[in-house]
Amino acid sequence: MRFKLKIALALLVFLGATSLSQAALEIERGPIYGLLKKALPFKNLEIAGYLKTETALRAHGLDEFMKQANIAQLETEYKFNENIQFFSILKWFYDSVYQLEDRYKDDPQWESKTNKKLKYPEKLQWLRECYLDILTDRLDLRLGKQQVVWGTADGVRILDIVNPLDYREWTLQNYIDSRIPLWMLNAEGKLLANGQLQLLLIPDYQANYYPPSGAPFTLRAVRLGAESVQALTAAGITVSTIEEKPAHTFKNTKIGLRWRDIIEGHGFEYTLNYLRAYSFASSAYSQLQFGAPPKFYLTRRAEGINVFGGTFSKTITEGIIMPGLAKGWTLRGEFAYITGDAMNIGTDKVIKQTGSNTVDVDQYNYVLGFDKSFFTNWQFSFQFVQMWAKAKEKYDKNLYTLLNGATRGPLDEVETILTLQLATDFLHERLKPQVLVLYGDDNDWRISPKVSYEINDQWLVTGGFNFFEGKEQHLNGQFDKNDEVFMELKYSF
Amino acid sequence: MKKIILLLMGIVLVSGYAFAAGLEYFQLQKPKEGMTADEIMQIKYFNKYSLFAHDYESIGDVVFIEKDGSKRNRRFLRERIILGRGSDDVSYKDLVMFTEPTSVKGLATLTWNYMNPKRDQDVWLWLPSLRKIRKVSAGQADDSFMGGDFTVEEITSRRFQDETYKLIGEENFKGYTSFFDGKVYHKDEPCYVIECRPVRSPWYYSKRVTYVSKNFGGNMLDEIYDPNGKLYRTLFRGWIIMDVNGKPYPAQKRVEGDDLRTGHKTVIIFDEIKFDQGLKEDVFSEKTLMRQRW
Repeated sequence: MRFKLKIALALLVFLGATSLSQAALEIERGPIYGLLKKALPFKNLEIAGYLKTETALRAHGLDEFMKQANIAQLETEYKFNENIQFFSILKWFYDSVYQLEDRYKDDPQWESKTNKKLKYPEKLQWLRECYLDILTDRLDLRLGKQQVVWGTADGVRILDIVNPLDYREWTLQNYIDSRIPLWMLNAEGKLLANGQLQLLLIPDYQANYYPPSGAPFTLRAVRLGAESVQALTAAGITVSTIEEKPAHTFKNTKIGLRWRDIIEGHGFEYTLNYLRAYSFASSAYSQLQFGAPPKFYLTRRAEGINVFGGTFSKTITEGIIMPGLAKGWTLRGEFAYITGDAMNIGTDKVIKQTGSNTVDVDQYNYVLGFDKSFFTNWQFSFQFVQMWAKAKEKYDKNLYTLLNGATRGPLDEVETILTLQLATDFLHERLKPQVLVLYGDDNDWRISPKVSYEINDQWLVTGGFNFFEGKEQHLNGQFDKNDEVFMELKYSF
Repeated sequence: MKKIILLLMGIVLVSGYAFAAGLEYFQLQKPKEGMTADEIMQIKYFNKYSLFAHDYESIGDVVFIEKDGSKRNRRFLRERIILGRGSDDVSYKDLVMFTEPTSVKGLATLTWNYMNPKRDQDVWLWLPSLRKIRKVSAGQADDSFMGGDFTVEEITSRRFQDETYKLIGEENFKGYTSFFDGKVYHKDEPCYVIECRPVRSPWYYSKRVTYVSKNFGGNMLDEIYDPNGKLYRTLFRGWIIMDVNGKPYPAQKRVEGDDLRTGHKTVIIFDEIKFDQGLKEDVFSEKTLMRQRW
């Protein structure tokens, strides 16, 4: 591993030495790009990519790695002609934190025995995207593995639920890196001047990826589950986990529809969305069967869900009610009604032990966003988010509550989240500080300041902190002890 | 993100507010003898935004030059369609897509500009890092865009109504020596010298002196004075005259900004400039933004 690190560092130094000189109007792409173009001398092939190293240390003591990942990404685009084009993203990464910090592999709760994917939390997926575009004036078809992004919200997923998510680093990564691409057909047809109808047919299914117990950002619910399995096994109870995922049949194909339009003359944009899918976060059903030996069956089921939603965005270009009022603000919103999903009930840490422990729920989630620039170059972005979960089945609310799927802590019927992002720049935009603050109404916080510096066209360095504050029952509070300082160095070609 | 928006909007250079002011779309306009400063400036804005054409395409190279001589680059493709359409107030629509370097590759904006001078632009931004389109606000007028040596309003949003004008002379332009290639541009070009003072006060500049060509109605040089009346920045636009179907279309070939206080400089050079290629309005939609893959 040390050897791999040395190679990575040597490569970065080499790249640094060979890419600092630039000629005006000749945009330097560096030696890697040059080598790739020589190796793949196709006229219609465009290549890009990056090498990146990401390091994070636990803020308390600065003596423990949270991450030491080296990443290589290669993006290729081949144009058969103006109408038919192929695109792919290959990505390799290796997080050596599991070698640098023995505590992970020595953790008795380490889940790596049965699930091959969980066995390698340090690396996952090399084929990020791979699709063929067929473009015409009236209809665009995109066939293959891809991400589809719905919605207008930043940092929270209301309608952005076409693709599952990789929670390896909770939600600290950009969604572009943490969404798990799916194989699908994506067709978008033009019906009006600015009105387009999108149809998604998604035969592929992947669940969200949750890091196993013992990983740096293991969800509390996963850790508690692992502890329960340990305790049951120690008590002589055989534990069987059954994964109920939708079979790859035509009947199970997920369907998405989106109507998008801009009302010309008003600059008002809206979408109407529908998704028939399976939940990426499976519901847990448990059953204890007495006998010799006793058996405990844990069934994780991907529930079939229907999502109805919509978005809007509007920039105030003249004023509201009177000229000039609120001019310059961009307002945006997003709403989703999700039916068919299920949640566990119980008390903090403990899923209800007797009788039915899962209830069907309807969810009503929305976000309102307000964006504006102030003081010449300070960008302000505020979001108000509410998530309602209403059980469709009766249960004893004096004894139990709905449980948060990520923490197995009590879930309020209405959870409110506020987000604030401030960003600006200095030194002719080379130095870009920003801070993101997320606040949950249970006094649950995440504060993430960071600053990036563009050394030149190829090199970018970023440093920052992620502070978590709150109780372990809540989304960010569960990582209260995971405050970290991080540094990233990226070389693009 | 705002800076990205400004960058994308800014390098359009000719995107911004249509002002019309009685000038007929799709007709070449040039100053005539005896015109007032207001009339000359109306033509200057008309030509700056090339409202005489039906559509426009170009490839642009941006070079930021630090005081120590180090450079950073950007390359973009740009398309525009001029509509001058009273029914929905749309003056023209712009599309800018970055192609290099990789750090900005794929960034794209769609801008709709309106005939009503009091109305802001509508701007949509394609963010490759998020894989989504964001509706965004137009930039603050006094902000520099893309870290360069122009303000947002100088490039994208200044309107005829934002200043008052006074004709202070007529002369043959002394020429501008490029800090980028050392060549002298527009030497001896007959021009009007016009003093422009911002309506807004206080503002980041107290006045600018602009040199508008008598031959093609474009402004070649702005000398910009700070609130204390001291010259602190110059903004040069180099023009070429293109023969388009027998008509002499003025086109900006280069823009150079020089901050005399900091020593920072920015140059934008336009290549492969094309007019009236028959671009369809369909291209200027979100669909085109979403076709971006990077």
